[in-house]
Amino acid sequence: MGVIDLKGLEVRLGRRVVLDALTGSLQGQAIGLLGPNGAGKSTLINTLLGFHAPSKGTASVFGLDSQRDKAQVRGKIGYMPENDSFIGNMSGVRFVRYMAELAGLSAGEALERAHEALFYVGLGEVRYRKVNTYSLGMKQLIKLAQALAQGPRLLILDEPTNGLDPMARQRMIQLIKEIRQQGSVRLLISSHLLRDIDETCDEVLILKQGRIAALCNIEEERRSNRSFMELETIGAIEKFSANVRGLGCECASFPDGRITLVMPDHIEVRDLYVIASQQGVQIRRMNRRRDSLEDIFLRAMDNQTGRATHVSL
Amino acid sequence: MSVYKHIYRAYDGKVTPAWTRILVIARYGFAEAWSSKITIGLFTLCLLPPIVFLILIYLANNPIARTLIGLRGAQGFAIDARIFLTLIEIQCWFALPLASWIAPRLVTFDLADNALPILLSHPISRFGYVLGKFVALFASLTAVTSVPCLLLFAYQGYTSPLPWAAANLRIAGGLLAGTLIWIAFLSILGLALSSWVKWRVVATGAIFAAVFVPAGIGGIVTGVLRTRWGFLLNVPFMMTSIWHRLLGAPESSRFDFSLPTASIVIMLVLACLICTAMLNARIRAREVVRG
Repeated sequence: MGVIDLKGLEVRLGRRVVLDALTGSLQGQAIGLLGPNGAGKSTLINTLLGFHAPSKGTASVFGLDSQRDKAQVRGKIGYMPENDSFIGNMSGVRFVRYMAELAGLSAGEALERAHEALFYVGLGEVRYRKVNTYSLGMKQLIKLAQALAQGPRLLILDEPTNGLDPMARQRMIQLIKEIRQQGSVRLLISSHLLRDIDETCDEVLILKQGRIAALCNIEEERRSNRSFMELETIGAIEKFSANVRGLGCECASFPDGRITLVMPDHIEVRDLYVIASQQGVQIRRMNRRRDSLEDIFLRAMDNQTGRATHVSL
Repeated sequence: MSVYKHIYRAYDGKVTPAWTRILVIARYGFAEAWSSKITIGLFTLCLLPPIVFLILIYLANNPIARTLIGLRGAQGFAIDARIFLTLIEIQCWFALPLASWIAPRLVTFDLADNALPILLSHPISRFGYVLGKFVALFASLTAVTSVPCLLLFAYQGYTSPLPWAAANLRIAGGLLAGTLIWIAFLSILGLALSSWVKWRVVATGAIFAAVFVPAGIGGIVTGVLRTRWGFLLNVPFMMTSIWHRLLGAPESSRFDFSLPTASIVIMLVLACLICTAMLNARIRAREVVRG
């Protein structure tokens, strides 16, 4: 049983199919949900929360059906929505306490945890101020605090760094990393920013037009692509490629002089220069891939231009 | 754990039963409603008529007090269904501005700040959310309608030298039923209209308009078509008819027409169903885009 299990999940809004036959089991400690705008990320989250009923298939969280066991599922989830969502004329601590009580904590316990959660996210000093006086970054943090206060088993963060300045973004990423390291809560983080997912998640689900484009373990992918390289060369690339293969590299060459290769651990970059020198090949550019998630994403998007729209690093 | 230890810890304690979440919504709604000084002011105003009626009942049952203030005999002081009809009418109409003020405070804050996705992501249903708000408003209105009316009935029963209460139990039943019907209608109407208007002042006006504008239209229909059925749009007329019949007071001669009780009940139920549909369409965690 995974954290989230999808079995042929289809969700329609009106006549439009928003999620189409999603099947998979998400088991990571921190799961990234990636995809361009309109791919169905938020719809999937809303379906997990029971806001949308599947037209076919099922979605389950910790083995509980998101529709049939709606209340139990919601009791295990802390949700931080993408857009502004709060009660502006309440003080921060009262708002978080209210949400914790709704999740099932007693009034006293909810108050205690509200204070803790607000200190934890860094809003301790402003917890008696009304929420509508908070800055955008503070509003993001109070959404996180209310999601944490109830002590959920799964924390769903929808675009947690949306609208944050670089400092606030770093703070948010750091918080997410800390929560992940604590290990008592699983995370589902939806974002269209590859960097956020790359920094915080160990598993990624990529959606494209409502379908699963990729579902993989980032750590494993990262390990397998550790020595993935791209070369731009001029000269006899066929012979050069054959010699590189002779070293034990996986290699693919293209007519425009481009060569992509995966180097085994025992091969150094210097070895490539030596072969190039022997074959009279000029290496004009060498690019070691530093971000395997980008590769995964681009492969998933099957984008000929090499970069999908609405996705930025 | 001290609040100074900034680490996250999962909650592994007991959780409250699911039905108590409705009371959480009601409690916070109640607190929100009564945090306003205007609510307190309106509430105080609503308690003035019962004080006047309290004095009236005291005088009606105390000949010495009547003599002291120079009133002779008990004429005009007979405490009967008509007196309680006047009381229920005054209290129920005083409840309208209170409902118009409180209902928007319960709903529009949540809608204006888009709080529904967060609220409904917790283990509470949309029905539970609306029921919690309804309970908060209903309880507030009970305090100015049912409670003072029944307390005054009890006081009359206590001070009357005759076995008055036993002989007039229908009045007590009428007071309870009449006020509950009215405040239930007001509560659902107030919540429904507040859920469609984000601005509180506009929502307050809309609640007044929903009661009185159809009454005006009904009057025009009645006048032009010379039919009594236009009164089916006239909420004040329908409620007055209901209160008369529930308390067993003689029908007012102000109107030439009267409506069958069944038609009034059907009309009120229909209005409540429309309000429920409005709430169902509006109280959602997400806007559903059709297309």
